[in-house]
Order: sequence, then structure tokens, then C-alpha cells
Amino acid sequence: MRKITAIICAAALAFSLTACGSDTKNDETVTIEISELAEALLETVTSDSLSETASSLVPSIYYLDEENVASAVAYASSGATSCEIAVIESTDTDGTADVESGMQTRVDNQIELYTSYNESEAARLETAIIKSTGVYTVLCVCDDTDAAEELLESYGF
Amino acid sequence: MAKGNRRRRRRSEFAYVLKLLIWVAVVIFVFEGRFIYTMVTFDASEASAVSESGNEEESETEAAQTEAAHYVISDDMYLAGLGDADLIESETAEETETETETETEPETHATVSDPDSAAIVGEQAEAVDDSYFSDAVFIGDSRMEGFRNTSGITEGTFFTSVGMSLSSMTSSEIISDGEDKITVAAALSGGTYGKIYIMLGANDLGEYSWDDFKSGLISVTNRFQELQPDAILYLCSCIYVEEDKVTTGDYINNENVDTLNSILLEVCEEEGYYYLNLNEVLSDGYGSLIEGASSDGVHITAEYCKVMLNYMKTHYVSAEDIDETEE
Repeated sequence: MRKITAIICAAALAFSLTACGSDTKNDETVTIEISELAEALLETVTSDSLSETASSLVPSIYYLDEENVASAVAYASSGATSCEIAVIESTDTDGTADVESGMQTRVDNQIELYTSYNESEAARLETAIIKSTGVYTVLCVCDDTDAAEELLESYGF
Repeated sequence: MAKGNRRRRRRSEFAYVLKLLIWVAVVIFVFEGRFIYTMVTFDASEASAVSESGNEEESETEAAQTEAAHYVISDDMYLAGLGDADLIESETAEETETETETETEPETHATVSDPDSAAIVGEQAEAVDDSYFSDAVFIGDSRMEGFRNTSGITEGTFFTSVGMSLSSMTSSEIISDGEDKITVAAALSGGTYGKIYIMLGANDLGEYSWDDFKSGLISVTNRFQELQPDAILYLCSCIYVEEDKVTTGDYINNENVDTLNSILLEVCEEEGYYYLNLNEVLSDGYGSLIEGASSDGVHITAEYCKVMLNYMKTHYVSAEDIDETEE
């Protein structure tokens, strides 16, 4: 009985230790090909034809410090819709919070502007997806949010 | 007897604690072994793989830019009165060639009210590269934002806002710096710029009396020039629309675009600014946007935003031009 109790206690202790380190471990080791992910997310935009924005301009669009951006891929609209996709790799995991914040600011601004300009696009922006894993952060304003969520889940978001 | 029992109990407790610790060590090793293995085996190979993928992206971008540089002159461009200055991708030329074969000679339609005006930026012998825009600031509405997003331009500062009109550009806090909203003038005063490109008009068509529009435009452009006294100020023409596709109001029509552009040109002539006649490469020759250059009739597709960028690279004001103007 004592043995069984000891085994259960030890297992519980070990599991709790494992669980504590799990997120950090996975986050630090995850590697994503950001251009591949961005291209895959393009499939979720059906109402517009997005084009790739120069990566050098991406930090300013999302109010980011260039030094905190290791790489970035963004696709945006000619202005006909509010659809946009951005995948940004930060230089470290601490930077993802800033990227998320910058993306949220961008979305909030766009909602405000589109509300008086084109309400249906403002509504689309309300469903914007912003997610992070490890050093990667994604913004997806698209038509098929379910497909985008599913895709992001498969990439570990 | 009692002492013997105590010793046995102590031994038993000691063995129990020892077994417990052994089990903990075994289980930790089993569950954390993967982590230990990762720590030992993770090396620069993964990092270099990421770096290599980044290099591949750069190569692809360069290849795309090289590809985009392969242009030919299309018949539609000649219709707009452009000749060899007009650049458009070869695929588009092939598509439009078949369409224009069946068309009769169109009526000529000037894209500016005074084609001989000295304020119109002419074509330069040599095209500049993107570094020309490194000290440029681009101010404008969703069309300018679309230009930033899709033309492939890699340099420049953009103060753009969806729905920007002359009124909001003048006084509304519509530019975000990431924390606060500020006016365009406040954003402009935050740096030093060598060129200012202004694109607006699509949200002003039918909104004002034209006299009010002109006086308002003079006021705001003069303010911008005061803030950036060394900057060359370009007023971009309001780009034509595809009227059949426009659903946002009858006032968005090419007659109004022509009227607005004549005012832009007047302001340039009177105030010493430069008029960038983008319709030279975006007109269909009938006073309308090239068919297919926009999905909604107003916003220009990526293909034609690239045409705009190439036009800007060949139509700029040189130091000699400025000297001549001053003399």
C-alpha cells in the first residue's frame, strides 16, 4: 500500500514539474517557416487578392521597433478590403507581447477608421485573429476564420 | 524490546523515504529526459536553418523585383498619350493587345487641364531606385495605403489613413504613432523629410465647393511646407475611377476627378509645388481608369500600383529642375 502511495506521489510530483516547464520548452524550440505559414493563410482570404508588402515596411505598419523584428512576412490589400495577414518573428520570446500589442493597435485603428467608411469591413476586423507561439506572432484578417484557426492550431498556435 | 521496535521503525521509515526519492528521480528522468536530450542536441543547425530560410526569402524577393522590371509598352498606354514613358507588365500588354485591336481610334482626352504647365513633373532620363524615397513621406488615403501595401516600395515613411479627406488631413487626429492619435501635421513635424507626396481627392469628390477645396488645400500644403521647408512637395493627381464599378456614390465620377485635378494643378502652379500626373499611366485614354486596374473601381490593383511606383521613379524633380525654377 505504501509502495503504491509512494509511486502515485512521485508520479504526481514529476508530472507537475513537467507541466511547469512544458510551455516554455515548446515555445523555445518551435520553428516555423513564416513565409510558408503566411502563404497558407492567404487561402483563407477569398474576397480580395492580397499582395506581399515589403518586409522593410512591416515594423512601421505595426508600430514595432525594427531591432525586435527578426523577420516578417505580410500580405495586404490594395484598399478594397480590410483583409491582411502578417507573420512576424521576434528576436526573442519577450518581444511577442510587443508584437501582439502593435497588431492589436493596428486592428483597433482600422476598426475606428472603417466604421465611418465601410461598416462591413469594420465588422470583419472585429474577427481579427492575433496569436503567438514562441517568437512568432500572427495577425489574420480574413474571410474564413475557422479555417485560419485550424491552420494556426496545426502550426502550434 | 521497545528499543528494537523503534530501530526497526526508524529503518523502515528511512527505507520508505529512500524508495520515495528513488521513484521521484526515476520518474523525473523519464519525463524530463526529452528535455535533457533537447538541451544536449540543440545546436546551431536549427538556427542556421532559420537563417537559410530567411536568405531564400530575400532571394525570392529579389527575383520578383527583377521579374517586375521586365516591362513593355502597351497600346493602352499610348492611348493615354504616354509613348515610351509608359511601363506596364508584358502579360498585361498581351491581354490588352487583343482587346485594342478591335477598337476604333479613341477621342483624345487630356489627363491634365494644362498639359504644358511647368508644374507638371516631367520624365527624367534616368530612373531612381527606392533609395530616393528613403527621406520621403507619403501622405494620403486608402489609395496611398494600397500603394504602400502592394507596389513593392521598400523605403519611405507613410502617414496614411483610410477615408482621409482634405478636412481630416488638415485637422483630425487620424495618424497613430502606436500610442496616441495625432494630426498629419504633428506626425510630419516629428521628422525631417526631403520629399512630401500627397495623394487625396477620392474622399473629397462632391464634398466641398471647389473654391473651398482649393483654399483649404493651399492652407494645408503651405503648412506642410513650413514644417518641412527643404522638402520637395509633390501633389499626386487624383486617380481616375472605373465608374461602372463604383458603389459608394454617384459623386465619385471622372468628371469630378478632372475638376479636382485641375485645382491640384492650379495650386501647384500658384504655390510652387509639383504635380505628379499619375493618370498619364493609369488613364484608358477616354478619361477613365484603365479597365481592370481596380477591383472596386477606386482602389488600384497591385499590378498598377507597381506601374505607379515605376512612374514615380522616372518622374521626379532633380536639383537642376529646382535651380531652373528658382531662376
